Amino acid sequence: MESIKLRKITSLWILIVLVLFIVNIVLGILMRLNQGEIIHQSPITFYANMTTHGLTQIGIWFVAGMAAVNYLLQRYVKTSYSANVVAMVLTVIGILMLWASTYIGKFHAGWTFLYPLPLKIMWAKWATPMFLGSILVMGVGWLTWSVSMMTQLLKKYPLTRALAWQHFKKNPSTQTPPFILISMITLIGIIACLLGAVLLLAMYSAEYFSNGTFVNDALLMKNLTFFFGHTIANEMLYLGLAVIYELFPEVGGRPKWKTTWYVALAWNCTLVFILTAFFHHLYMDFVQPVGFQIVGQIASYMASLPAASVTIFSVLVAVYRTPIKWSLTNLLFFIGVAGWVIGGLGAVIDVTITNNFVLHNTLWVPAHFHTYNALGNVLFSLAFFHWFFNPIYQGHP
Amino acid sequence: MQNSILMLFLVLAALSALVFTFVFISSKKAGMSVQGLSNPLRKRFWFLLILFVVLGIFASVTIPRSPYFLFADENPSRVVHVAAMQFAFIMSEKAIDPKSPVGEASIELPANELVEFRVTSLDVNHGFAIYDQSNRLIAQTQAMPGYVNRLRWKFKEPGKYTILCLEFCGMAHQVMRSSFTVK
Ligand code: HEM
Ligand SMILES: [Cu+2]
Repeated sequence: MESIKLRKITSLWILIVLVLFIVNIVLGILMRLNQGEIIHQSPITFYANMTTHGLTQIGIWFVAGMAAVNYLLQRYVKTSYSANVVAMVLTVIGILMLWASTYIGKFHAGWTFLYPLPLKIMWAKWATPMFLGSILVMGVGWLTWSVSMMTQLLKKYPLTRALAWQHFKKNPSTQTPPFILISMITLIGIIACLLGAVLLLAMYSAEYFSNGTFVNDALLMKNLTFFFGHTIANEMLYLGLAVIYELFPEVGGRPKWKTTWYVALAWNCTLVFILTAFFHHLYMDFVQPVGFQIVGQIASYMASLPAASVTIFSVLVAVYRTPIKWSLTNLLFFIGVAGWVIGGLGAVIDVTITNNFVLHNTLWVPAHFHTYNALGNVLFSLAFFHWFFNPIYQGHP
Repeated sequence: MQNSILMLFLVLAALSALVFTFVFISSKKAGMSVQGLSNPLRKRFWFLLILFVVLGIFASVTIPRSPYFLFADENPSRVVHVAAMQFAFIMSEKAIDPKSPVGEASIELPANELVEFRVTSLDVNHGFAIYDQSNRLIAQTQAMPGYVNRLRWKFKEPGKYTILCLEFCGMAHQVMRSSFTVK
């Protein structure tokens, strides 16, 4: 009974994601046609499309990862159906509010809505609170969802076990499945950055309702914006990795992967680096304390080490000279990992401050994140969708 | 600079694509028997160590050359104040009054001498990116309200340099530009 309900809502998530993905691709192509001067849109239309495209893409691939992790988590712990429903209702309302703000209200501050741009009204007056409200509504929905998943997980796996710390000792008495470990690490990051978003929105509303008596600090607001924006865009990829650890060996007909001391160590380190890497978005703000700038480069470099030497290496080792039942599911996972690597190389190059000096906010940036999203993260989710709807794999979980 | 960055990326991306293709083909060829990788833990360790050393070298070579430390121990022979606003740059060799911002019609800078740009914004965040005659981005900083970013640079070649805004700042962001000459 429970699992039928979960299957239904997961199918609905997939449907929503795919429909919105098509809309977003159309918006993306319109933007490229406009940049190539094949069509001529007014700048406001272009930027409204850009804002809608950016925020909707981040939103749908985030929820796609969450829906997949929720579905697979049910194999280990009981998850809350109502939290899943709340997240869906609030996501849909949030998207509708976003569209109202950008298409009726002509709001067009970009998906990063860098302070104080949203408060310099160049659109319908109501569009700013509508846009910020749409982020609030989605953020509350996602916070509910991730907190509920985390509490359910912690009921069965106490914190130190969820983080697989017992694996740092010789001969651990219990195993933490890699899926549980990665979900836990990722949920902590997601909750942290969503709380950052709540704080950011609170500061916006304090200024908005103060009638000019309270003005925010632009540098602090930019740090907060990217603590939220960078981290959420990064974490959604890690949701996809949790799914890979769970499904890649399984669909290939190979034994399940186990958590070892180095897997545990890699993921625990990832948590630290992932929450400090966002500083690389402020490299060209020379007034930012230099210590943060250096932390930004080092944390971003370090984040690539566990990813490369544990996850990517494991995927390659699992395939190398090993007979695997190849299907579209694991092929998509495999190509996705390759796309993630290539996009990641673009990221590591750009995250070097001396390179960022000539690459920051140029076309390099959308090029790198579209590579790892469109050829990485999106393929991880499509692989899950294919697995989910494939009759051969029915009966899971 | 941009060309060597692009080459580095293309080489690394091609190498990665090769590795993935090679590993995929090895799986197809494996037949029924699992041959796998011998001693994977040791190879993993070496892979990690090499990556760590390479990134460590990159970090220690590049970080000291970051723009924050450029020409830090010299005194600029010219100072240019820049106030960015939707959708223009105001530039002056005298300090700019935010209440009645006025700039100079044209700015001329000496070649091979240290110039300091003191960049701020009067409204939203903007970018301040300097492009040379061949439209190549050579240096940049952000223009942030309430803060002054100091960008130091020595221009080697005389000619006209273009300034573009590189932070989305509203509907006319794409036409927000200015220029100066180096003699
Ligand atoms: C599938 C085909 C896609 C096309 C044709 C496309 C096209 C574009 C274009 C032309 C831009 C504007 C870039 C610029 O000039 O600055 C853009 C921005 C963006 N795209 Fe995509 N994109 C696609 C897929 C994706 C995916 C899969 C994601 C994320 C999962 C994504 C996330 C974004 C974001 C976050 C922005 C920045 C928006 C902003 O600056 O406010 N896109 N895209
Ligand atoms: Cu601007």
